[in-house]
Amino acid sequence: MPQSLLRASGCFDFRSLLNRRQAVQVGVCGALGLTLGDLFRQRALADTKGKPEPKALSVIQLNLPGGMAQQESWDPKPEAPVEYRGAFNIAKTNTGEIFSENFSRLSKIADKLTIVRSVVGKIPDHGQATYHLFTGYTPTTVIDYPQMGSVISQAFGPRHDMPPYVAIPSLPGYSGGTGYLGSKFGAFQLHADPGGQGKFQVRDFSVPKDVSSEQFHRRQAARELVENRLRESQAAPDLLNTMDEFYRRAYSLLSSKKSQQAFSLSDEPQSMLDLYGHDYILKARREPAGIGPRLLLARRLVEAGVRFVTVEYGAWDSHVGIKEDCLDRMPALDHAVTGLITDLDQRGLLDTTLVMVTTEFGRTPLVNQSNGRDHWARVYSMLLAGGGITRGQIYGASDATAAEPARDAVPLEDFLYTVYHQLGIDANDELLAFGTRPIEIVKDGKLVKGIVA
Amino acid sequence: MSLSLRQLVALAISTMAIVFSPIVGRAEDVPSFRRDVMPVLFRAGCNSGTCHGSARGKDGFMLSLFGYDAKGDYYRITQDLVGRRVNIAVPEQSLVLLKATGKVPHTGGELFKKDSPYYQAIYRWIEAGAPDDEDKVPEPVEITLTPERMVFTGAKATEQTKVMARYSDGSTRDVTHLARYLSNNSTTAVIDPNGKVTAGQHGDTYVFARFNRFTIGSEVIVLPADSNYQWTKPPAQNYVDKLVYDRLQKLHLLPSELADDETFVRRVFLDLTGVPPTPEQYATFVADKSPNKRDQLVDELLKTDAFADVWTAIWAESLRVKGGGYAPSATDIKAAETYFEWIREQMQQNRPLNEFVADQVVASGSNLTNGPANLYTMLVHDVRFIPKNFAADFSQLFTGVQIQCAECHNHPFDRWTMDDYYGFVSIFNGIQRKQGAEPREFYIYNNAAAAPAKNIVNDRPVPATVLGGETPIAPNTDPRVALAKWLTAPDNELFSRNLANRIWAHYMGRGLVEPLDDMRISNPPTNKPLLDALAQHLVDSKFNLRALVRDICTSRAYQLSSKPNATNALDDRQFSRSRLRRLRADVMLDTIVQVTGGERGFGNFPQGTKAIQFYPRTSGDTGGPHPGDPFFETFGRSSRATICACETKTEPTLSQTLHLIAGDTLQGRIGGGGVVPKLIESNATPEAIIETLYIRALSRKPSADELAGMLKLVGTSTKDRRVYEDLFWSLMNSTEFMFNH
Repeated sequence: MPQSLLRASGCFDFRSLLNRRQAVQVGVCGALGLTLGDLFRQRALADTKGKPEPKALSVIQLNLPGGMAQQESWDPKPEAPVEYRGAFNIAKTNTGEIFSENFSRLSKIADKLTIVRSVVGKIPDHGQATYHLFTGYTPTTVIDYPQMGSVISQAFGPRHDMPPYVAIPSLPGYSGGTGYLGSKFGAFQLHADPGGQGKFQVRDFSVPKDVSSEQFHRRQAARELVENRLRESQAAPDLLNTMDEFYRRAYSLLSSKKSQQAFSLSDEPQSMLDLYGHDYILKARREPAGIGPRLLLARRLVEAGVRFVTVEYGAWDSHVGIKEDCLDRMPALDHAVTGLITDLDQRGLLDTTLVMVTTEFGRTPLVNQSNGRDHWARVYSMLLAGGGITRGQIYGASDATAAEPARDAVPLEDFLYTVYHQLGIDANDELLAFGTRPIEIVKDGKLVKGIVA
Repeated sequence: MSLSLRQLVALAISTMAIVFSPIVGRAEDVPSFRRDVMPVLFRAGCNSGTCHGSARGKDGFMLSLFGYDAKGDYYRITQDLVGRRVNIAVPEQSLVLLKATGKVPHTGGELFKKDSPYYQAIYRWIEAGAPDDEDKVPEPVEITLTPERMVFTGAKATEQTKVMARYSDGSTRDVTHLARYLSNNSTTAVIDPNGKVTAGQHGDTYVFARFNRFTIGSEVIVLPADSNYQWTKPPAQNYVDKLVYDRLQKLHLLPSELADDETFVRRVFLDLTGVPPTPEQYATFVADKSPNKRDQLVDELLKTDAFADVWTAIWAESLRVKGGGYAPSATDIKAAETYFEWIREQMQQNRPLNEFVADQVVASGSNLTNGPANLYTMLVHDVRFIPKNFAADFSQLFTGVQIQCAECHNHPFDRWTMDDYYGFVSIFNGIQRKQGAEPREFYIYNNAAAAPAKNIVNDRPVPATVLGGETPIAPNTDPRVALAKWLTAPDNELFSRNLANRIWAHYMGRGLVEPLDDMRISNPPTNKPLLDALAQHLVDSKFNLRALVRDICTSRAYQLSSKPNATNALDDRQFSRSRLRRLRADVMLDTIVQVTGGERGFGNFPQGTKAIQFYPRTSGDTGGPHPGDPFFETFGRSSRATICACETKTEPTLSQTLHLIAGDTLQGRIGGGGVVPKLIESNATPEAIIETLYIRALSRKPSADELAGMLKLVGTSTKDRRVYEDLFWSLMNSTEFMFNH
């Protein structure tokens, strides 16, 4: 039989049975901390043709955990009966549409925004919906899927020596993690809040005050001395190179003025803090809202080279007293997002920075007996701006009571697919889990053509 | 007599079919979809996971993954869009043939030529009217791959393999050209689409053939061509060494030298007790002149409570022990404590591991008073019990088999079928709970009347059956009793090998099967006789954990140096030298605390609790990941979000480096622990101070070069606390410190 009856084309043969977690450190790859599994994954990505042209270089995701009500924010229903409408009036936008009156500032820059009013989720459960939002998949027992930030870290790597993926102040619970990708693609979490009380200091991110620069250098020199022994034994040269690389990057992050400043707000003028809003106090918790400084820091990080920043703000699970919750939390949100968009636009960064305001689901059409609203995943609203997204558009619509999509429904997968698309990633591409199992970045996602400029 | 063109073509084709008869079936047979066409779809890769076998198909055409659902595939090819994929009137215009030969645009490209037997097989079937053949053709029941073992000397040597299939009617068939092949390590050996193996670089691996639902492997060893290898006859302490050496000899590897006393004492303390030796323990051991002091030390450490703590921690991670305050999930702190203390007691008493597992499997009753019953609530951390999750977790945890792959398709790389899976799920269909006397309390019980799970392909109920069991468990009983009996029986190799592999991995830094919880035919052990022997010794000792650990830790293989010799620098799976292993997060923290002095508190735990004794106690719901402490999160302690062995991470990361350089764990303790000031006050010389710091942190004395280098850094500041603290810092930021080596 002729040797080449079967052509190893495209679909099979190059994927051998690599073990999950099999960290085969190979040759020079070891020095970069790459494993054979990474190589295979990269090959899988590189193999696909026809990638979309990247429009966005970075993403800032503002996530509102708990499920922000669409009715009290982007999709008010002023003509619905009061038990559906809720407590708030509307604000006319500068594009002739309406937002809730809670967004009086945002309504004045609506010409820069795209609101998707027809997002469709799957499960009205915080944990599962948050995982779905961050990874594109609902949780399973078999495969743990990576977050979008991790997929982007893996696809693009660091820029200007900055960590590619940063969480301010930390990753939300239940949002997943690096999944089947390696731990080095995980978010760098600040574990500190630039908008909190007290001085802002990223955890583990500055040389301790009582360590002088003389000491800092002596420590490095002494460490070299100790490393020599294992290095000379040749027991694990690749590992020692990897560790050296981590120490080199850490010393650089800790001592480089540029990276330290990227993680600090100290040289931002007062006018900039004012633009984002920084003095809101959440009455319910008697603490600063914090969102203004968080978004300001996100902008600084993006400027410095971070590719994906996720920011968390507020607690939106308003089963009881949604009016009071909105009055407490929305002014700071309105102010800060307006500030961010305005600032990015003025700096010319809005075209290359995609901003999205996400929430794991919306809330029930009918106000409940406790004057709250419950979980609702069948239709809700999210914001997109910049990064090649249309400007000044309301996309899709919910029905008269914000209960079901009325037109142009956007499944969450399509929403995420479109964000990936703007970054130049075709989310129908497959990554290899466990070295062998191809898994689409987003399953069955489609481009929402109507929101791409 | 004149023949029509059509008949001529048919004659020509059937003549070809005779030529290729072993591949496409006997010419006189009616072409068969299952026997002739399905193997071609498999062979050509049409139904692989990256092509039409993907869960959503590809480009609008879906096949079952690797053909687990022939009936559905028949429908999708012939009935779904009638006339599109097969054209009975004009067979050569059938889309399946046009696509596969690249005559029309096809994402998968050209898979075979028109003159190939693959094409002919499909063509003949379509020409015959694309008949269905359900229940009419024998099914494959077994495949063999020969030779079973290949040894090559030097790269580029080749050998042709042969794959035979045996069918349910007793017939056999050469399927070499219908099988698919893969190599587990293509740098050592590649296998081409025709089954020919070509040797690569020095080492060992397996090549596999797959046909129908079967996967079978042959071992390949590649020896260097130009070596004058000679076995050096190192002494063997026990069966472990004999079997490791057998393997090394076959592969022309030599073991590294025995590690020195300093390396050994640190290694064995860290592995057996979770902390390095104190300076006193170090000094006692190094000064001991008795010839069998290593064995004695192992025996001594096996008796400690710290040994039980290490294994309690490992089990508590795997079993997802976490306590919270959300009553409906039944995982209250009090329940977690009951469970944790029960596990600890079993480990302290050296309870036989089969009994330890069986007790949990059959446990019923209150989660607050009956520790082992918490198995069922801790595995799920949810308000509902999901039988599928139990099936997946039990299988992965207690046998190392990932049976859940067979939920939606037959396991692509193992022998498990969907019926195996659903039969196993049915065991757990009756597990229920009911509210106890107070909100935190739940009673676990089995409802023997529960209906069995249904196979999702054909919706047929599959009665409760143990994995690979021939007959279902008797109905109207608690199936967990039969499950426990089967699971923990001495002759259940799935169980004993899984335990032996996990125990071995803890001490050797790598399982004989890796990942630990992915045992399958296509992932064979790197040293099967050794895994079998370890499992057998475990069984023979009546599942005595300490006895097996003793066998491992007193072996010379465990005590080898990590320094490579001329033969074994590239070996990372045959245990010819010690592997560098990053300390587990809890061991690392306890080590830092012991080395720097003082204590470190954990919220909600009594003063003096060690990291290894910590398990997460959170407020609220326990469903999500809970590393429990920022240090644990950074250093990859299991978050207990799943039972996967991969939850415990020991990969180094940038955040770990940042934390050790700039975080509060080391910085606060170097100054605050008081070690350095005490040494300065004792009026010790700089040499003595440096030596003490080395022994504390690394369990060894500095070399002459190191001492000289360190003294140079000290310079004239011989009483400066900060200088010594910097040296102390550097010792604890070394790779040597973070790794057991």
